[in-house]
Amino acid sequence: MKQLRSNWLYSLILVFLIAFPFIVGALTESSPTGVPRGDRMIMRGESVRWQAVLIEVFILSILAMSYNLMFGFTGVISFGHALFFGSAGYIIGLALEYTALDTGAALILGSLAAFVICGGVGLMIGFVSLRLRGVYFTIFTLAVAEMFYIFFSRFALTKAEDGFAVTELPVWLDPSQSRLTFYYIVLALFVLTFLFIRRLVNSPTGAVFKAIRENEDRALAIGYNTLRFKLMAIVIAGMLAALAGILQVLLNKKIGPEMLSVGYTIDPLLNTIIGGIGTFAGPVIGTAGLHLLDTFFRDATLVIGGSTIQVANVWGLVLGLIFILVVIVFPQGVVGTWQSWRLKRQIRHLESRMAVEPSPAPESG
Amino acid sequence: MSEIILEAQNLRKEFGGLIAVDDVTLRVTRGSTHSIIGPNGAGKTTLFNLLTGKYSPTRGTVLFKGQDVTHAPVHRRPHMGMGRSFQITNIFPNLTVLENVRLAAQALSSDSFRFLRRAESFTNYVDRARAALALVGLESMAETPALVLPHGGKRKLELAILLAAEPELMLLDEPTAGMASEQVPELMRTIETIRQQGNKTIVLVEHNMNVVMNISDRITVMHIGRVLAEGTPAEISHNNSVQSVYLGELYDLPRAEN
Ligand SMILES: Nc1ncnc2c1ncn2[C@@H]1O[C@H](COP(=O)(O)OP(=O)(O)O)[C@@H](O)[C@H]1O
Ligand SMILES: [Mg+2]
Repeated sequence: MKQLRSNWLYSLILVFLIAFPFIVGALTESSPTGVPRGDRMIMRGESVRWQAVLIEVFILSILAMSYNLMFGFTGVISFGHALFFGSAGYIIGLALEYTALDTGAALILGSLAAFVICGGVGLMIGFVSLRLRGVYFTIFTLAVAEMFYIFFSRFALTKAEDGFAVTELPVWLDPSQSRLTFYYIVLALFVLTFLFIRRLVNSPTGAVFKAIRENEDRALAIGYNTLRFKLMAIVIAGMLAALAGILQVLLNKKIGPEMLSVGYTIDPLLNTIIGGIGTFAGPVIGTAGLHLLDTFFRDATLVIGGSTIQVANVWGLVLGLIFILVVIVFPQGVVGTWQSWRLKRQIRHLESRMAVEPSPAPESG
Repeated sequence: MSEIILEAQNLRKEFGGLIAVDDVTLRVTRGSTHSIIGPNGAGKTTLFNLLTGKYSPTRGTVLFKGQDVTHAPVHRRPHMGMGRSFQITNIFPNLTVLENVRLAAQALSSDSFRFLRRAESFTNYVDRARAALALVGLESMAETPALVLPHGGKRKLELAILLAAEPELMLLDEPTAGMASEQVPELMRTIETIRQQGNKTIVLVEHNMNVVMNISDRITVMHIGRVLAEGTPAEISHNNSVQSVYLGELYDLPRAEN
């Protein structure tokens, strides 16, 4: 019933997102496919500009949803998520640079390798460190991720600080030539990720994830080898983060050490907290909210009294204030607070019913 | 006919300098109810933690159905047919009452690795969970989040989680701890019914002497980590040292735990 109603809402949003390039195009009288120049398309106009913004929202949402699978649904707190995101980027970079394949084949090979390797790295990190509980595990993941960051930004094979540039993407995939196609590819992968995570979390396996989050000792006591399930969560989250990393490379057409930086751990973490830990829509709402703010207000100028303030200069402060405000107003994130408000209403309803009938739990032998 | 289902041989557990369990030997016959009594701090919960693998003993052996399980991991034991409940309520607070129990029903199958089907579509676990909830009288609360149950309800849930796994051997650590006294006889009757109908073995830690004397086939009395006496309820109630140490002095003291 509840699921049906939210499915309705989700379908509406999906229809909107599919129509979005055309809606913006119609409102601003710009072409969703850009402006033709000779036999190329130039990505100019409001519609393609907005598509780029949403593409970033979708990619970062995939990253946040993958983080939430561990953090929100399994209770495994890692500070090393950027490792998967960045490694996937570098694996593609290496495939493009060091194989004799054409770009398309190298991309496919690189992407497959990225999934396999990121899953494997997740398995290894998990196996070594998941026996550590709580904060020790978290610190271990941070250390490993930072190690990769330093290593990749110094190493000649990975072109140190410069990283790799992706040239000659196939035209149909190139966001700077066929942005509309790329928009729909990323939208489709975003929707698939959302549906996959929802299905996974509602499956028998996901039930165990939540049991581990709620009370790992009890999950052990009723017979679950919790280590195995936590490993599964890490491997799946790592592979989904790899997907986000691959898309990010295609969008920006470059790979550098910044993809491994702690920012790509903190962003999905904050986005998840703001949207709602352990909710399906939370990470997406958090990502969309913060990213849209970032995009449209970072370059603004404020005039207060007689002085002008460049928002960009105080962006960190603004972000911090927003974060504090959201956490105060929505202590469980936007979606989480909404859900718990509804739950509390339900419970109050139940209690008032129980007050009417003296025996709430009829015994049946 | 008197097969020993669970045997502890010379178990000892030290915490730093403290010896919580000291050379405890215990034999539990299949199909029986075997109670362990003793004042607070006697080492009953620690003994349970040794029997169920939560702690590793400093010395000694645990045999379950003839197999040495001393160092078998905690999560293996339910698969062998051993289940326990906790003195301090130990549930999944933000999941529904039904889901708490359904998880226990699902735990012993390989279906837990099926991640592309909805959990509710495995109706056998839902059915078993509902049956366990009905046994303890919680079925009307199935959809409630476990954390909002009143204390007595949580104790019943604790028991239902155990029942859903259908263990051969149930180790119950003060199942009625902190329950309103008028609810105690009913819960104990439920436990007794389950034992008889399911031909289960029960190891019970319980403070209520009336309950223990009525329900038990054998009783082991612990005191400062050691076994003070072992015998039938009649033997125990006539044992002088038991009376002086336990029944006389401490039984009427208010319980400090939980
Ligand atoms: N994890 C532990 N670490 C240190 N001491 C413990 C631990 N668990 C129990 N003890 C101590 O062992 C003794 C026995 O405790 P316990 O087994 O809980 O007794 P009972 O269940 O009979 O009341 C107590 O003195 C208690 O403080
Ligand atoms: Mg105890």
